[in-house]
Amino acid sequence: MPPMDFKDYYKILGVEPTADDKAIKTAYRKLARKYHPDVSKEKDAEAKFKDASEAYEALKSADKRAEYDDLRKYGQHGQPFQGPPGWQSRGGYGGGGEDTGDFSDFFSSIFGSRGNGFGGAQGRSAGRRGQDVEMELPVFLEETLSNESKPINFQVPQYNAAGQHVSNTTKSLNVKIPAGVADGERIRLKGQGAPGVGGGTNGDLYLIIKFAPHPKFDVEGENLIITLPLAPWELALGAEVAVPTLTGKINLKVPAGSQNGQRMRAKGHGLLNKAGQRGYLFVQLKAVMPKNTDDEVKALWQELAKKAAFDPRETWSS
Amino acid sequence: MSSPRVVQVNMTEFCEATELSVAYVIEIVEHGIVEPVGKTPESWHFTDYELALAKRASTLRKDLDLEWEGVALALNLLEEVQQLRAENQMLKQRLGRLVQTP
Repeated sequence: MPPMDFKDYYKILGVEPTADDKAIKTAYRKLARKYHPDVSKEKDAEAKFKDASEAYEALKSADKRAEYDDLRKYGQHGQPFQGPPGWQSRGGYGGGGEDTGDFSDFFSSIFGSRGNGFGGAQGRSAGRRGQDVEMELPVFLEETLSNESKPINFQVPQYNAAGQHVSNTTKSLNVKIPAGVADGERIRLKGQGAPGVGGGTNGDLYLIIKFAPHPKFDVEGENLIITLPLAPWELALGAEVAVPTLTGKINLKVPAGSQNGQRMRAKGHGLLNKAGQRGYLFVQLKAVMPKNTDDEVKALWQELAKKAAFDPRETWSS
Repeated sequence: MSSPRVVQVNMTEFCEATELSVAYVIEIVEHGIVEPVGKTPESWHFTDYELALAKRASTLRKDLDLEWEGVALALNLLEEVQQLRAENQMLKQRLGRLVQTP
């Protein structure tokens, strides 16, 4: 048995060792809601949730709690734990091939393996189907315009004959990303998940498409948005500007007298949709002031200010 | 290797993939957590997204000791949070581009 660290389950739940069952249950429920991996976005949520579940499992029944309280006199949270003289660890996987869940070695050394069973599962006769594997696949916007092949690596859980999770192996695949995928779309690769146990079929691999942020374009459904910086006089007088697209450039005519923030659109330069057509590229105009102006330019601005006689805050003066 | 865009699974496949019993799946459907196409449970068809949803529903129910109504509410709110997060991120990115000076 490798050395393991002592876990102070009271500390994990944030309760006093004298806390009653009700307080322990409440503390656990709060932590479970906060750190449930399906709910929480925090990085180490899953580990915290597991810790809390394990702590609650140990403290919720009087028998287990008494057993744990006895041992607790000999251990300190986070310190290596050997137990009192003469204490016998119940060992890890020895206990009759039951599923120990994901609880720590520390837990199973005290309580042995946990009879977990399968909540709501069917006791199917022959083999068990392998687990599905889900993973996010970052995709560049450029890659969504055509069928692209992408090499991916992913972790597949491995189970022994008793259905216990023993290790992960890394699998490599070349996957085809269909043209026109959307952000958040799921792609199923049949049979590429965890292998079945005892003759069961393999699980599937699900790739969840995640668009990588683009340095120039933002995504709005099937449309793209680009911000086009313009000098104030370009807005005033109009300009013809080369605007980048996902695949090249287009020439855009900005009409004279355009407003800052105004959107123009170019058909067919957005993303590919499910119907095989491309959305719009919205070009949002943004006035940018020159950083340095010399006296001559300043004088011109002053002249403009006088001649234009323009009050942008007209609506305020009522 | 081509993948069909819309993956449909029948009741047997659904139960196998989610490791849930038929009775359990019927309960999930009765609470409107997943909405299969088809009139009777034998003819139900689910999408692969519903597969993931049902798995989530059953872990939430077990881990947080929730009633189905609570699970359904949590899933709705979680989806809304996810959408709002995505929208917020997009708007922040837009705002950043409009405010920042080159």
